[in-house]
Amino acid sequence: MLEIKNVSKQYKKGAIDALKDISFTVKKGEFVALLGQNGAGKSTLINILAGNVKKSKGTVKIGGIDLDKNELDTKKKVGVVHQEISFDYVFSVDEVLRNQSGYFGLKDNNGYINELLETLSLTDKKNDSSRSLSGGMKRRLLIAKALVHRPDLLILDEPTAGVDIGLRHQLYDFLNELHKKGTTIILTTHYLEEAEKLCDRVIVIDQGKIVVDENKKVLMKNLGAETLLEFDFSKDIEIKDIAFLADFNPRFEGKRRLQLKVLQNEIGVVFQKMADADLSFSGFNLEPKKLENIYLQIVNGKAA
Amino acid sequence: MIRTLFYNPTGFFTLLNREISRFMKVYIQTLMAPLLSNLLFLGVFGGMLKTREVGIEGIGYLQFLVPGLAAMGAIFAAFQNPSFSIIAQKYQDTLRDINSYPLTTFEKVLAFVLGGTFRGFLIGTLTYIATIWFVGYRIENPTVFFIMLALISFIFSSLGVIAGLFLENFERMNFILAIILTPMAYFGGVFFEISKLPDFLSGAGYLNPLFPMINLLRYGYLGVYEGNLLIQLIFVPFVAVAAFGTAYYFFNKGVGLKD
Ligand SMILES: Nc1ncnc2c1ncn2[C@@H]1O[C@H](COP(=O)(O)OP(=O)(O)OP(=O)(O)O)[C@@H](O)[C@H]1O
Ligand SMILES: [Mg+2]
Repeated sequence: MLEIKNVSKQYKKGAIDALKDISFTVKKGEFVALLGQNGAGKSTLINILAGNVKKSKGTVKIGGIDLDKNELDTKKKVGVVHQEISFDYVFSVDEVLRNQSGYFGLKDNNGYINELLETLSLTDKKNDSSRSLSGGMKRRLLIAKALVHRPDLLILDEPTAGVDIGLRHQLYDFLNELHKKGTTIILTTHYLEEAEKLCDRVIVIDQGKIVVDENKKVLMKNLGAETLLEFDFSKDIEIKDIAFLADFNPRFEGKRRLQLKVLQNEIGVVFQKMADADLSFSGFNLEPKKLENIYLQIVNGKAA
Repeated sequence: MIRTLFYNPTGFFTLLNREISRFMKVYIQTLMAPLLSNLLFLGVFGGMLKTREVGIEGIGYLQFLVPGLAAMGAIFAAFQNPSFSIIAQKYQDTLRDINSYPLTTFEKVLAFVLGGTFRGFLIGTLTYIATIWFVGYRIENPTVFFIMLALISFIFSSLGVIAGLFLENFERMNFILAIILTPMAYFGGVFFEISKLPDFLSGAGYLNPLFPMINLLRYGYLGVYEGNLLIQLIFVPFVAVAAFGTAYYFFNKGVGLKD
């Protein structure tokens, strides 16, 4: 669906490269999370695909068509939800969507527009000016706008920034639905739970370079091995009481709470050792491995 | 070849329609205001100078003024429509959206230019209609008059596109209107014949690119003209092609549109 090969971008001569020799391929039907810190280059990459930024080097193919050779044919295949919310405020919600359909060559698209308005709960705002919508509604309108021409590839640049939790989950369901119907999706986000919940694959960009490109499950298995174990005790304990746990990065939180970092397959060992030492605890908590922790490991350089 | 010009007719007409509805939605400011100011000009100058004899036999000053005002109204409206639209979209951060549409550069530029052309043509025509009450409806050569009105609008709409791409804000646009376009119009023969100017000014007047446009419009309306008609008839379409070509060039380069 998408083939990116050795793409670089330098905004100005002498400036550092916003993207450095990026290559990856996205297969039809994949749901890819594109992660990275502020300024990593995510939006730059997306803007290259949207035609807003001219790449300095490399080739991009969308649906097998080379962007440099036949840009217009690629446009119909892509829908982009940009990071910044922006509308032509002269127009109503309905006009925004009908114009958007028109630009993509669709004369009568009202059926699908109504369907989108319905799924994104905007039907009763149909005739309102786009200016009068709340932030979350604008975000949804932006998504509807990217979808009117039924793109094969949907690219979302932080679509849930500033969207309330209820609505966010509604959006997740919506994206899942689209994904099931076969739309290829690339999602940029700073909410890692989002990527964890939705995507099959994770690409992390750091300072314009891809540092991780991995199947989500594999990634979590390989990197997320450390689980946080937390024990509460009914009496004060000291270091010497837990000397036998020294291998598991023990850390005290006050005198009655102990945290350990344990590999998945060592959890049993820890419990066995505590039983052997006759150390009884009153409470116990296990923090499951999260993509967020893995991600922090990666961007903090531990994943090299 | 055709595909590099016309790729998506529906998209083109949607964009054109947007550029027209953009000003139609606020027709009080965009149509009524300039029309009213034209009528004011007519009332003030025309009323004051009614007795002034123009160099041409049997032509009153009011009649002389009508094509001048129609031209000036068309020039400003045609220039403002695309430049205002483009700059406003820069403010709204929606201008870049156009990069994602499956439209050729030619289609995009033509939609912007024709949107402005239509507004200019409308202002010119409305000015004419509004003055019928004062000076009568007679147009000496309607074909020339309306073709010239369309051409003038087309030229200044093209220039408006270029201005929109290059300018970052409305202050700059107003500056251009006030410092360049207004004096050019005033000295291009809107209010008086170039030949009536003092010698050193009339020489410059003939070089003013607005002069042949206004002059030809006046020729269509009154049947009288100054200078060499043939040269002017070649010059104006030439400028139209050049202005559109320049707008196309910068649009295609992505000035103001792409990083
Ligand atoms: N129009 C531009 N002109 C010059 N430099 C730019 C431009 N846009 C982005 N940059 C630079 O390119 C780099 C990458 O920016 P980009 O917007 O792609 O980051 P991002 O990963 O999307 O960050 P965020 O998470 O904050 O949205 C940054 O150093 C940024 O300053
Ligand atoms: Mg970004």
